[in-house]
Amino acid sequence: MSYQSTFQRWNGTESYIADDGLIAAVNVAVALQRPLLVKGEPGTGKTLLAHAIADGLGLPLHTWHVKSTTRAQDGCWVYDAVARLQDSRFGDRDVRDVSQYIKLGPLGEAFSSEKRAVLLIDEIDKADIEFPNDLLHELDAMRFVITETGEEISAKHRPVVIISSNAEKELPDAFLRRCVFHYINFPNEDRLTQICRVHHPDVDDKLLAAALRRFMALRSVKHLRKKPTTSELVDWISGLRLAGIDPEKLSAALPFAGVLLKDESDAAKAKKAGAMESDDDSDDSDGNKGGSGTGWRGWR
Amino acid sequence: MFIGFHSMLRTAGLKIGLTEWLALMEALDAGLVEPSLRSFYDVSRALVCRDEGDYDRFDQAFAAYFSEAELPPKLKDKLAEWLSRPIERPALSDEELEKLQSLDLDELRKLFEERMAEQDERHDGGDYWIGSGGKSPFGQGGQHPTGMRVGEGAKGRGSAVAAARARRFRNYRDDRVLDTRALAVAIRRLRRLERKARRMELDIDETVRKTARTDLLEIVERPERRNQARVVLMMDSGGSMEPHTRLVEQFFSAMKKSGGLREVETYYFHNCVYNKVYTDIAQFESKDLDEICRGVPPNTHLFFVGDAWMGPYELLAPYGSLEMATSDKVPGIDRLAQLAAAYPKRVWLNPIPENYWHAETIAQVREVVDMYPMTVAGIVEAVSALLGRGANRDQREPIAMWSNDALH
Repeated sequence: MSYQSTFQRWNGTESYIADDGLIAAVNVAVALQRPLLVKGEPGTGKTLLAHAIADGLGLPLHTWHVKSTTRAQDGCWVYDAVARLQDSRFGDRDVRDVSQYIKLGPLGEAFSSEKRAVLLIDEIDKADIEFPNDLLHELDAMRFVITETGEEISAKHRPVVIISSNAEKELPDAFLRRCVFHYINFPNEDRLTQICRVHHPDVDDKLLAAALRRFMALRSVKHLRKKPTTSELVDWISGLRLAGIDPEKLSAALPFAGVLLKDESDAAKAKKAGAMESDDDSDDSDGNKGGSGTGWRGWR
Repeated sequence: MFIGFHSMLRTAGLKIGLTEWLALMEALDAGLVEPSLRSFYDVSRALVCRDEGDYDRFDQAFAAYFSEAELPPKLKDKLAEWLSRPIERPALSDEELEKLQSLDLDELRKLFEERMAEQDERHDGGDYWIGSGGKSPFGQGGQHPTGMRVGEGAKGRGSAVAAARARRFRNYRDDRVLDTRALAVAIRRLRRLERKARRMELDIDETVRKTARTDLLEIVERPERRNQARVVLMMDSGGSMEPHTRLVEQFFSAMKKSGGLREVETYYFHNCVYNKVYTDIAQFESKDLDEICRGVPPNTHLFFVGDAWMGPYELLAPYGSLEMATSDKVPGIDRLAQLAAAYPKRVWLNPIPENYWHAETIAQVREVVDMYPMTVAGIVEAVSALLGRGANRDQREPIAMWSNDALH
């Protein structure tokens, strides 16, 4: 029995370029009906992946953006007690019917969808550290009971669950055990070229090559607090194109460096490593300024 | 099927249980794996690994199982024997430490291989050969900050399976000293929820009850439940702490993110605490210690983070500070005692391994503040101590002061 016949295979999409490892992980998650946990540096396309999977498989996408205050139950349903209280005094709705004050969250929506759906739980590590554990049962059994009405919502079709994490917090073991895991490695130069071409189909070859060279040199500087990411590269190239920068000049100066390096001490490190030209007017080469990497060392 | 692979994965240190293994079998049954080793690699890695730190272990196990490539056993045994008897390490000057820091992992591996080929005997304490207690980047118990530990489990790189052999993920491998999650859970135990806050919240249950009874909308409010636990961090930012920067940063972020601490105040000092501590190290903004010691609210926990490693006069002599800004007539040790008296709940976390704590200044600091290693276990222990009892040591007796003249 070949899996091609039993489920739809995902192969990436035109605008989303995936490598073999990622494709394998996605297909394993889809076929075994387990959540797929994707980690990776910011800007490696974790969120876009869910969109690409939904596009590629032709399924609707439900997105749950997790915030620091998000509770597990919010994803299932929300009970609007205040509206009900309000209605009991002034409203014309029948307040004995609790169900009209229940609103399904993204998880509930995905469960009750008539078609198999893709559910993205975005940035799960933003929430409280116990949050993933609170979700275990719902994701395992694919059902939950709304306590206010006693109604059980169970998945008509098990959704494809994609979970993204920026590794701000580590996730509990019990949770990890149930997931298929993939770490999106930072793309190499060839893949970066492909990605830039998707976003800037008509970019000048010379400009792209020169920009990539500078970008890779910056990324290779050791001990950067925040390395520049793919999305920043794409933005940077937009800037270079808008300003009409000559690719030849790119090897002598780094225009709009602030798009790539967001930390003052990083800029100092880049200058020290020779990946960036020091600009004489802003500070002297000793970096005798507060907040810079060398300033810290000056403490001894 | 592949039982050997399973045990190889476990040997490599992957926490692979029945669940993962059955899932892999299920994937094979479902025909998810194409008839190629590369496809088996991709699928099994996705199911077996739990974070990117596992990728390196997986690659090693995969390469070892499918190519049986390992470090030549004779060489390995000899190495292990050299390393099994580590000697005490010498203290390094800051300049030396900085110089050592420059090597990165790839250069290191290359160097290691070259040197292993040259070396043919046991070696300890030097700064070139592979051995224990040395300053060379290779070996055990050494002081090289970015050095490579050679010991049990160190495997060679095989040659058969290209993807696994390349070990692209080796940078992420972390036999973590500090797991931020475990840490955040530990810190969270400091939480003390009380309804004392000034902000009010709607008490829904009570509002509904009262409204039902009186038939008039009756809004009931109650004070919000808020965490009353406060933490004061005193962090050493001296030069000798630089190799521990990452560790301290992890601790710091876990502290900030654990959620539920009402307040985290942070101060910095340089080697030792004097009459002033810095609120912003880069801007030289400081605050008087007397002020920090005044009116300490209950449920405040003081964490010192530092190596307590300094020149004896810095701790014991009047005007012991190395900086003009914090020049202080009172010796550092008495300033520590002042803090300890103001904060009955206080601990010291030290990133230096425990077996060096008998060293001079560390031992003296320990007399004033209880010290715990800066590891997950150590911090869990420290938090338990903070919760269990208030002060577990009386204020220390003043110790003999060093005379200034004797030092120069």
